[in-house]
Amino acid sequence: MTLILNAVAAFLLLTLLIALIRIWRGPAPADRMLASQLFGTTGVALLLLLAHAQAMPALMDVALTLAVLSVLAIVAFVTRVVRIDRPSSGRKAGDQPETHHD
Amino acid sequence: MQPASPVVTFVLRGAALFVVWWALTLGEVSGLGFGAVVAVLVAWLSLRLFPPSGFRLRPLGLLLFFGYFLSRSVVAGLDVARRLLSPALPVHPGEIILTLRLPEGSPRWLLANTLSLMPGTLSALLEGDQLTLHCLDTRDPVERDVRETERQVGRVFGLTFDHARGAAL
Amino acid sequence: MIETTVFAMQVLLLVMGCLFFAVGTLGLFRFSDTLSRIHALTKVDNLGLGFIVLALLPLAPSLAGGLKTVLIWAAALAASATSAHLIARAVHVRPEPPEAKESADD
Repeated sequence: MTLILNAVAAFLLLTLLIALIRIWRGPAPADRMLASQLFGTTGVALLLLLAHAQAMPALMDVALTLAVLSVLAIVAFVTRVVRIDRPSSGRKAGDQPETHHD
Repeated sequence: MQPASPVVTFVLRGAALFVVWWALTLGEVSGLGFGAVVAVLVAWLSLRLFPPSGFRLRPLGLLLFFGYFLSRSVVAGLDVARRLLSPALPVHPGEIILTLRLPEGSPRWLLANTLSLMPGTLSALLEGDQLTLHCLDTRDPVERDVRETERQVGRVFGLTFDHARGAAL
Repeated sequence: MIETTVFAMQVLLLVMGCLFFAVGTLGLFRFSDTLSRIHALTKVDNLGLGFIVLALLPLAPSLAGGLKTVLIWAAALAASATSAHLIARAVHVRPEPPEAKESADD
């Protein structure tokens, strides 16, 4: 099983690298930010596989952190690079960003 | 709708947080006492930051929504994969704007986020009750699917709509 | 007998996961606009992750371990949906990002 897990992990790493080459070519900054999303899914899958293949349960915590951080990277990008916080098209004064509370 | 009582919300959130702690520490017994303290503190803090809203989750609705969500997200993945593997690349991207019938707050937020994982839709902008969706194929009956998802989300919060506008039921 | 069946299922799920991740990467190349690429990344890759998680569940050392794997999966799903929406929103609000900004940041 360990061998199979390692093989699958290697394959996922390959798809991740190929995708990164595509993302590196851009051209728009938003295209490049897809890398963060890529790490949020492929990276998490890769780390979960390695946690079992290498018998290192701590890698599962790394996977969780990566998933959470990938969103923060996007939030930072969206507010700083694209400047979405600045109203661009006549938005209403009472308009507020969607917030989550349960 | 009446907000749930703070005590009930506190107990539910605390219990949920404790289960999460238990899972994340892989059931480590020595850490459970510390986890219980943290769960209580975070539940108390969450009550101050996010007081119970008027929406109550319905266990049955939530369970049904969960099944619906899982099956539809599998369909979504297969749908995009089918289009990508087809040599002709049958896509027709475009945007549609829908007026949501769900009330402000958690229900709208849940709908907008789940739609991004549903077949062919990606929520681009949510302003008031206007939701802009990017569709992979505008020739598909996107609106019908969205209305069905909206109905499912409504059921999670125990909400029903008048079916004057042709919602499926 | 049961062990063999579980093993076969795991291998099948892992292969399915690999296939979907490969298709997700293919989507980055075949789709020409950013928003369509997000469709490929969110939906296809999440399905791939789901298959991998299902394949790993029988390997979990305990009930807590299994629940932790499922929690990580849920976190990744929520993260992916939120990221997709945020990038889509950014592209929607400002379809053509200024090129000068990009070179200044590199």
